[in-house]
Amino acid sequence: MTPADDDLEGRIDRALRRLPPPRAPQTLLPRVMTAVRARSDRPWYARPWFAWPLVVRVLSIAPAAWLLYLAWRMPSPPAQIVAAASASRVLWDLMIAPLLPYVVTVVLLMGLACVLFGLALNYVLLERAEQR
Amino acid sequence: MTNAEPFEAFVRRYQDMVFATAVRLLGNTADAEDAAQTAFLRAFQHHAQLTANPAAGAWLKTTVRNVCLNHLTRYRARWRFFSELDEPGEGARFEDALESRVSRALEPEHADAYERLEHAVRSLPDHQRVPLVLFHFEELTYEEIAKTLSVSLGKVKTDIHRGREALKRLLTDHDAG
Repeated sequence: MTPADDDLEGRIDRALRRLPPPRAPQTLLPRVMTAVRARSDRPWYARPWFAWPLVVRVLSIAPAAWLLYLAWRMPSPPAQIVAAASASRVLWDLMIAPLLPYVVTVVLLMGLACVLFGLALNYVLLERAEQR
Repeated sequence: MTNAEPFEAFVRRYQDMVFATAVRLLGNTADAEDAAQTAFLRAFQHHAQLTANPAAGAWLKTTVRNVCLNHLTRYRARWRFFSELDEPGEGARFEDALESRVSRALEPEHADAYERLEHAVRSLPDHQRVPLVLFHFEELTYEEIAKTLSVSLGKVKTDIHRGREALKRLLTDHDAG
């Protein structure tokens, strides 16, 4: 930084520090209070979960806990579901699994091409500006 | 959630500070009012803790600054792209445009010197005004600004320097007058 830069910084700094802060327009307070009252008057269920009454928060946890308990205690699946799963497994083994390596390779190559294109674009448009 | 009425005194107390920070960072009144409202709504959620807290002003200032920077981040790509035009050659046209914008701030309707300087600051392009305001008004260091804006330290210094250069002409005229 040259002495001229220091001088410029000092002058600008002094001038800006002398600036009185802009006053808020008279419309700001009414619009903020309107928004605050609208938020304050909302029923509890329209507020964020953390702003719900404590009792309601505790009660709202109960159904989720019950569902978790059911999932944990779930018995083994019925025979129809087991049969459908087996059919899906056969389809997967015969039709999808053999093609999977090729599909994954194509997807990876396309992704790599996108990344390279993005990096090139980023360098041409943005990074070059920062390096100068 | 607290009652809205006691909050009005809180808004009255801090509205000028919040608006000043927002309008200098964003450069226009409409966006600044939106940002100020968002900051006050966040404060309302924590009103019980903030009313008795001596650091409420600092909390509010940081909040409104973050709201403004988030707003500007939506335009970050455009901001950085146009900052590339701010270079010799291609940038000459951009400097002319900037000169014209600053000159408009010097027109007779902005008779007061402070008002002219205030308008000149707001007339700077985002990529110069924001680091300049963060440095001179918010008192952040170059390193803090670079980290906040996710740009290189060199770019912060260059943009602030160019912002000052753009304001220099105005100050020179002001001192001469």
